Amino acid sequence: MPGVTVIEKGTFNGVTTDFDGNFTLTVSDENAVLVFSYIGFVTQEVPASSDSIIVNLASGSDELEEIVVTGYGTQRKATITGAVAAIKGEDIIKSPAVNLTNTLSGRLPGLVVIQGSGEPGGDGATINIRGINTLGNSSPLVVIDGIPDRDGGIGRLNPQDVESISVLKDASSAIYGARAANGVILVTTKRGESGAPKLEYSFNSGWTAPTVLPEMSSSYEYANIMNELAIYNTIPVNEWGSALSGIKGAGIYNSPTEGITSLNALYSPTAVAGYLSGNDPWNYPNTDWYGETFKNYAPQQNHNLSLSGGSENVRYFTSLGYIHQDAIYENSATFYDQYSLRMNIDADVNEYIKMNTGILTRREDRNFPTVGAGAIFRMLQRGRPTENARWPSGEPGPDIENGENPVTITGQETGYRKNPKDFIQINGGINITNPWIEGLELIVNGAVDVNRETSKTWQTPWKLYAWDGVNQSSAGLSANVRSPFTDPRLTESSNSVLNTNLTGQLKYNITFGENHDFELFAGVTKEKFSGSDFFAFRRNYISPAIDQLFAGGADDQNTGGSAYERTRLGYYGSLKYNFKDTYLVEFLFRRDGSYIFPEVGRYGNFPGILAGWNISNESWFNVQDISFLKLRASYGELGSDQVFYNGQLQEYAFLSTFGFGQYPINSNVVNTLYETVLPNPEFTWEVARNTNFGLDAKLFNKLNLTLEYFSNKRDQILIQKQGSTPASSGIGSLLPPENFGSMTNAGFEFNLAYDGGDSNYSDPGAFRYTIGLNGGYSKNAIEFIDEVSGAPDWQLQEGKPLGAYLLYESDGVWYDEAEIAANTLDYSQVTNQLRPGDLKLVDYDKNGKIDGDDMVRQEDSFTPRLQYGITLDMSYKNFDLSVLFQGSQGGLTTLFNGEFGDWGNYYKYQHDNRWSIENPSRVHPRLASRGDTWYTGGGYGNNTYNYGSTDYLRLKNIELGYNLPQEFLGQGFISNFRLYASGLNLLTFTEFGMTDPEVADRTYPLQKVWNLGLRINF
Amino acid sequence: MINFKIMMTKTKIFSSLLALFIVFTACNDDFLDTQPLDKVGSNATWGDETLSEAFVFSVYSYLGYGGYEEQMLAVLTDEALFTHSGRGINTFNEGNETPQNLAWQSGTYNWATMYSAIRQANVALAQLPEATFDNQGMKDQLMGEAHFLRAYYYQQLMRFYGGVPLIDSPYTLADDLAIARSTFAQTVDFIVADLDKAATLLSGKAMDDGRASRLAAMALKARVLTYAASDLHESSKAPSGYGTDLHAYSGGQPARWQAAQQAAKAVLDVTSGYKTDLSAPVSHSEGMANAVAISMGGGSAVADAAAKSELIFTRTMSSKYTPEDNWPMGGTHFGVNNGPNGWHNWSGNPPTQQMVDDYELMDGSKFDWNNPTHKADPYANRDPRFHNHVLFDGAKWKPRPSDVIGMDPNSEYQSGKYDDGSGEYLAGLDTRQGPIENWNGSRTGYNLSKWIDPDPSLKENLTSHQLIPWPFIRYAEVVLNYVEASINLGQEAEARNWMNKTRFRVGMPAVTETGADLLNKYINERRIELAFEEHRYHDARRWLIAPGTLGRGVERIDITANVKSGKSPQVPYRYDKTTYDYTYEVQNETTVENRTWKDKMYYRPISRDEMNKNDLLVQNPGYE
Repeated sequence: MPGVTVIEKGTFNGVTTDFDGNFTLTVSDENAVLVFSYIGFVTQEVPASSDSIIVNLASGSDELEEIVVTGYGTQRKATITGAVAAIKGEDIIKSPAVNLTNTLSGRLPGLVVIQGSGEPGGDGATINIRGINTLGNSSPLVVIDGIPDRDGGIGRLNPQDVESISVLKDASSAIYGARAANGVILVTTKRGESGAPKLEYSFNSGWTAPTVLPEMSSSYEYANIMNELAIYNTIPVNEWGSALSGIKGAGIYNSPTEGITSLNALYSPTAVAGYLSGNDPWNYPNTDWYGETFKNYAPQQNHNLSLSGGSENVRYFTSLGYIHQDAIYENSATFYDQYSLRMNIDADVNEYIKMNTGILTRREDRNFPTVGAGAIFRMLQRGRPTENARWPSGEPGPDIENGENPVTITGQETGYRKNPKDFIQINGGINITNPWIEGLELIVNGAVDVNRETSKTWQTPWKLYAWDGVNQSSAGLSANVRSPFTDPRLTESSNSVLNTNLTGQLKYNITFGENHDFELFAGVTKEKFSGSDFFAFRRNYISPAIDQLFAGGADDQNTGGSAYERTRLGYYGSLKYNFKDTYLVEFLFRRDGSYIFPEVGRYGNFPGILAGWNISNESWFNVQDISFLKLRASYGELGSDQVFYNGQLQEYAFLSTFGFGQYPINSNVVNTLYETVLPNPEFTWEVARNTNFGLDAKLFNKLNLTLEYFSNKRDQILIQKQGSTPASSGIGSLLPPENFGSMTNAGFEFNLAYDGGDSNYSDPGAFRYTIGLNGGYSKNAIEFIDEVSGAPDWQLQEGKPLGAYLLYESDGVWYDEAEIAANTLDYSQVTNQLRPGDLKLVDYDKNGKIDGDDMVRQEDSFTPRLQYGITLDMSYKNFDLSVLFQGSQGGLTTLFNGEFGDWGNYYKYQHDNRWSIENPSRVHPRLASRGDTWYTGGGYGNNTYNYGSTDYLRLKNIELGYNLPQEFLGQGFISNFRLYASGLNLLTFTEFGMTDPEVADRTYPLQKVWNLGLRINF
Repeated sequence: MINFKIMMTKTKIFSSLLALFIVFTACNDDFLDTQPLDKVGSNATWGDETLSEAFVFSVYSYLGYGGYEEQMLAVLTDEALFTHSGRGINTFNEGNETPQNLAWQSGTYNWATMYSAIRQANVALAQLPEATFDNQGMKDQLMGEAHFLRAYYYQQLMRFYGGVPLIDSPYTLADDLAIARSTFAQTVDFIVADLDKAATLLSGKAMDDGRASRLAAMALKARVLTYAASDLHESSKAPSGYGTDLHAYSGGQPARWQAAQQAAKAVLDVTSGYKTDLSAPVSHSEGMANAVAISMGGGSAVADAAAKSELIFTRTMSSKYTPEDNWPMGGTHFGVNNGPNGWHNWSGNPPTQQMVDDYELMDGSKFDWNNPTHKADPYANRDPRFHNHVLFDGAKWKPRPSDVIGMDPNSEYQSGKYDDGSGEYLAGLDTRQGPIENWNGSRTGYNLSKWIDPDPSLKENLTSHQLIPWPFIRYAEVVLNYVEASINLGQEAEARNWMNKTRFRVGMPAVTETGADLLNKYINERRIELAFEEHRYHDARRWLIAPGTLGRGVERIDITANVKSGKSPQVPYRYDKTTYDYTYEVQNETTVENRTWKDKMYYRPISRDEMNKNDLLVQNPGYE
């Protein structure tokens, strides 16, 4: 078997087996033990001998002996000293998710994965390692095949090309220095193995549908709500009951009060009855806007063809991928296509010189309508059920506003937006071993990444149908231009990126005495990222026939463009010490220079120290049920040159520069120059001090266990000294971001895997199962951000998590007038008159009145504190089943967007629970129309009633597979034929069912996917 | 042998790679010295005339959209009621604004924004004398503009807050930033000194529209001195608690009226506005045309371009100014922001019934709901400025949009409910019960039309731009400032004479009142002539009439048309007095605001955070 790693136990001395499975290794002494390891097989230890050894590896899953990719190298799990979580490619491809980021949640403890949107082409998740560590940018560094911060990131990698993904969570990432503060995600792609060519074809066909769609009120329910609201807003409280009877009965209420003569029902009794019966859909529709706009399922497909193999000296892996993903719109202008080609080639020039090359080309083809998903989903919720999305004769109904009728603006009638991105990424390297000195290795790598993105938005006026109100057929409809513009217009933009990376590294292994093994490693990396962009806009096209820039009108053109150049230089090294696999110590160091900082203090130093103790290797340790026990500890000082303030990377903050603006003077647009920010000559890094304690164990030979505890401190975060700068100084908005902020983050992770079933690994058909439970908990707290003094303690951000909400606390609802009459709290700063159905607020400071001081900083933010996964993998005969449940706890989000009432529909939840004259509530308040009650709009709208938990548990992933028995396949052409059915996000359990808990409302919803697939190996 | 060769190759490659490795890591000093490619260095600016001018343009940019904001200042007064709820406007009008819970504030007067603007002016004023470009004339002009703009922004602070910290140089991070408020008198003096400098520096300069001129500086001075002379700022007359030197003078009011009168007269001596030399009222139709022309300020293709002469300081509009397409939209979209929902517009700032009632009849008498003739046909025979400023039921307007015109081929504003002959009523197309975007319907039964370009070729959609300049200062204001000073100085004939200048050109009869009646006549004339131009908010306070005017609950109109017996309804509906009997009922409008008055509303609060950042600050009364 080729490619098996053979290492002398307790050393870094090792080789890999050749094409025929042969190897030669010179060991330090005759008592040496050789460790044979290969991914997916049980590692074996065999005493070394000068004669030939024949070793038979059994497939299995001995987690402890797996090889894991770590910073600039690989390590056996048994000798790892840092907090490292890893996932293998075979687990990734169980998920039918198109975007790789969405396959990671629930699989890697400590990784916080939140998918904000399900829109094809825009469905990548936000990933944070151990939650939020900074006020600035919490994104981890992604390293793909050794190249950091590779353009295009991780999301669009073809899952089929991924060999493994490792996550460095603690000081183990210190070797990446200035970009390691938020942890590092290492992606390794597949490489060829010597042997006969292996051809693999896989095909997936999926059907997607939203996980959760808001359930909205019917037209009958909506009309009733709106009739009630008119009473609340115009009629004195003591007449509400009789007003409701009047409105429901005769459709009019005559008030005895002066100044209020009569109130007419907004929706007359005839109309309300019409909505209820549904007999007259032209006049009294009951429109399901989502239903009218969406189809039941949107298709997605994925084809992948890969070829790998090689001779003894040259190995190759090539893969061709195609993905197609459609949107859920009935008449969809949105779709995503991706084409990718990867070629990884390794060549052994001779015994000592090896070369490797990786080439990736990828096209990401995004297509959208000209109206963004934000507007579409806003309009879907705003669509009132009392209006027709489509006329009963089939034509699109009127717009909701600005020409926006979702039935139409999701399609091609509005023009198009094409947004293709092309990536070419090439990396190559040479390794030379044992030049003069035994154990010395030189590695030189280079990478060039090129990306060009263009965008073309062609907006054409569109028509909608107006009804004459009389003729209930197509004949009564007329088409009118209803787009908010009448001339076609074109915007084109282009940006290109060129990133280069040049790396040189030296590695040296040496053993002193019998068991003192050292590995010395030193490297230098030089990076340059450059890019430029421009755009052009023309309008007043006389016809929608020509969608090219040259054909636009002469007036009102607009162009623009910009560029950047970003460089970094890093020196790094490590020293690893291993004593008999029992005592493990690792020093990491990096010195980084970044263009972003002023020359003085441009370089930062980032050390890390890690230590491990394999207790189970001690001779005195003799616990039968504990076959492995390791304690680990690490501390590192890591940095971040991704210094963000207010969501913006602060480049050149040490220079005094003016920004460009525009303003009309004398009816012309002139350029303006303005101060953007005062310079900060001491501008520098964020510094992370991260501590980690870990424990790895194997119990009863069945249970693998990893526990981690971490405590992170981040200093020198950019803040503005807002707290001490009055606005009257005029520099309140020009304050330079300065490195004074600090934050802490602490938590734990757990990972348990129970390996059950038949322990006969040599029988592939035996019943086997693995149950896993993993999760990560993190809680951050702001330590210093220069808060304005004077606010009450309970409102401070300091001491609370980043993004913790500042809210009034609600405490039920004023049930009736009697309850209000008994009220002693002063609400005069809130409202001139409390009325039944108003929210009750808590007088937090107990000063007898509700005022601004009663807002309370909550413990929760949108970011959950705990994310976890439960996995079950089973196999029996030719069947296998894999299940992943994934959950999240501790996030808080706003429940209602405020766009309901006269300009939008209500959730059915709001209708069903509301305080009403006939059915008063002590929990849920009277509804508002577009924020017109004090507890829905304005400052007092920020209250706990309007917020809810995002906790959820979902069936994230399930796959049932069947491998055709060998007897069907016969001898030869097809070596394996696998059929499988899989699903993504099939079930979601959550407290509030209005929207998917991961996404804000008015966003393209997350999708569930039912998938059928097959994989054929030739 | 083979082995030896391999060894050699290995060593050669190793050595060359090692050499390369050293070369590329060695010279790294320049490598990390990249330059920003999207900004300009501040030191380059002051050596270049055009760049320096561009910097001063940015001082103008704090003028924002002028008064053409989505939420106009008029909605904090008895001029208008903002249609859309949840914008923090009721927080103000219901008297619930506090330092911790600020109501909506516009960026055109907000404390922090004004001080940012003042800093930009201070940077220019500090740098321009040292600027290295040659053109002294341009330096003077830019200095003059910066002085004017600094004065303008301080004037905004003065109007909303009283005496404020006076900062006349650009602060650095090293400076002590705590500073006390100056007195009201010091603030006025500072502004006036800036304006005097501006007037001197801008003397003889021909200034483009939208830029400060000598005349603008003189006119703004007249305004500031008029404010300073007002009762609110005279300690003995100010409401209790509002007479300290942060907000008022102690004595000397007549001298201040004299100064105000002189400052206004200085402007009137060098310019004459638009059609102010008439000796008698023009006809109603001519008055209507003149009123429209004055509103359009020369910016409409269908109104007299000469009316531009009325304007003294403006915010100009450009159809090319694409940022104005952004939310919230500005003056080029005034029509969209304020037109009726039945034209797919948003009815942002509709006039209240009380505003409508204050437009006189053509004969100069007051409108009265108790007068049966008035009540039967309330919109007939009114001041032409009413027809110019306000859309009312039955008013003919621009052509309806293509999808609506079928329902109203006559394109008449519909804010009533109309008998369809079967006992049911049709809701007007421009109401909150109508079939078109009814959430954008006016709550008062009117729409504001004063600055909507009547040019029918300008469709009221989001991408057609109207180019009507915003009048920060115009001739009529200076005239009325002069009138006000004259009344307060007892020069009633002079006051009547000048008041007629804003009345004759719109067809309104001469003023004949004396004494208190004359003052009331003036107060109403100013309310009408300068309606919605950001004066009422301040005037009602200056005159100490705010409690009974701004503090009133808003009224709306309910209009019902019943088919006359023996007649058939018009299909589609159109306004027709021969077919329908129209009844008009004034109603309380309480759906979004329950207005009240509290004395603290004379001034805006300084935010709690600002108070805490500057321990020398004193809060405005009522907010402590």
